Amino acid sequence: MNHLLTKTLLVLLVVLLSACTAAPKKDLALERVRDELRTLQSNPELAGYATLALGEAERALRTAEQATGDKLYRSYLLYMADRRIQIARAMAEREQHEQSIDELKSLKSEMLIKASQLEAEHARLEAERARLLVATTAEEAQRAREEREDALEKEAESARAAQLSAEEAEQARRLAESRASEAEFARREADLASQQITSLTRQLENLQLRQTESGVVVTLGDVLFASGEAQLVEGGRSSLEEVVDLLQTEPDKKIRVEGHTDSSGESSTNLLLSEQRANAVREALISMGVSADRISASGMGQDFPIASNEDEAGRARNRRVDVILLDN
Amino acid sequence: MKPILIFCICLALTACVASKPDPKVLDATENAIQMAEAAGGDEFAPVEMRFAREKLASAKLAMEKQKYEVVVYLAEEAEINAELAIEKSRTAKSRRQANELRRSNDELYKRLVDTFGDEFK
Repeated sequence: MNHLLTKTLLVLLVVLLSACTAAPKKDLALERVRDELRTLQSNPELAGYATLALGEAERALRTAEQATGDKLYRSYLLYMADRRIQIARAMAEREQHEQSIDELKSLKSEMLIKASQLEAEHARLEAERARLLVATTAEEAQRAREEREDALEKEAESARAAQLSAEEAEQARRLAESRASEAEFARREADLASQQITSLTRQLENLQLRQTESGVVVTLGDVLFASGEAQLVEGGRSSLEEVVDLLQTEPDKKIRVEGHTDSSGESSTNLLLSEQRANAVREALISMGVSADRISASGMGQDFPIASNEDEAGRARNRRVDVILLDN
Repeated sequence: MKPILIFCICLALTACVASKPDPKVLDATENAIQMAEAAGGDEFAPVEMRFAREKLASAKLAMEKQKYEVVVYLAEEAEINAELAIEKSRTAKSRRQANELRRSNDELYKRLVDTFGDEFK
């Protein structure tokens, strides 16, 4: 009896000890995690991304594979390895997105540069057309002169008519010449603009710019002021920094600051508010280094919308301050 | 003979049982979950957030029931889920930013093609 008890106790002891060091066998959970890692590593789109995190995941998996000890401990290690793989995947995807973001940003710059080059190209074509007009007009004048000479011999009446047409042609020629030089001027300006565009690209990315007859207009959207307020919101100055950089690239040009509102509320109140806001922006620009005598401010009220006042999106666009870099 | 055997069994049993872990283990996990909440985990990685909270709750329960050998495991598993939630949230945000840029570039492209026609291609 005593002997039997001893034997039973011994068996129990062996069982208890082996419970702490269960022999590793074909482990489905481990296989699944291994697969997970292999899938991530062989994904061609994510190759080369998040290599550090991937290394950590590999180490965690190796630790789980080599672990001896109780089942609980090993399943904990395996769980950690699985999460590390998920973390590496998220990081790799993020790095991929970040690269896309960089590419998209430079694509945007390229499009803006190309647009400004095309604008310059158009100006040059216009100049070309004007020159052609001069040549044609000169030929016409020549022909008219010849005709006039012929006519002189024949008839005094027709000579007068020819004289008249020659004068007209001359006038047209002068007009065409002046147009040609205008176009030439425009072309030079466009060339200058395209040289500058490269350095301006960075600013262009973040600022809303428009080219108008009076000059480049930087539109500051409806973020500078709280509703109904004429004081810059906190942080408003920092969004003006890029504007100041842009303005300082053209130190010789005058600047006009125009405040605009949407059409809600009293027209007279809007006019006053837009003026106060324009002045606030002017003061801010001056305090940020733009020289005071370059810059004037005026309130335009609600009468110069750039979008419909019918819906909120349009009204938001109309609530703005335009900073105009005047073309002399 | 018999007392020695009983002693051996006791020794074998205690080898598997851990001592009481530092309660700070759970504080670190709670911190990690709060950081994941701040990173937008509930919006972008709700599943991982749930795992993290459930495992933290289990870890607390295990602490009360003095099952110390699992407290640390559960706390670490909760914490790594919070970490994963943070990574996933950041990734989702960068994906969103990339998509927005893609859309605004498409719009810009259309506008420029409208303005310049076939020249812009």
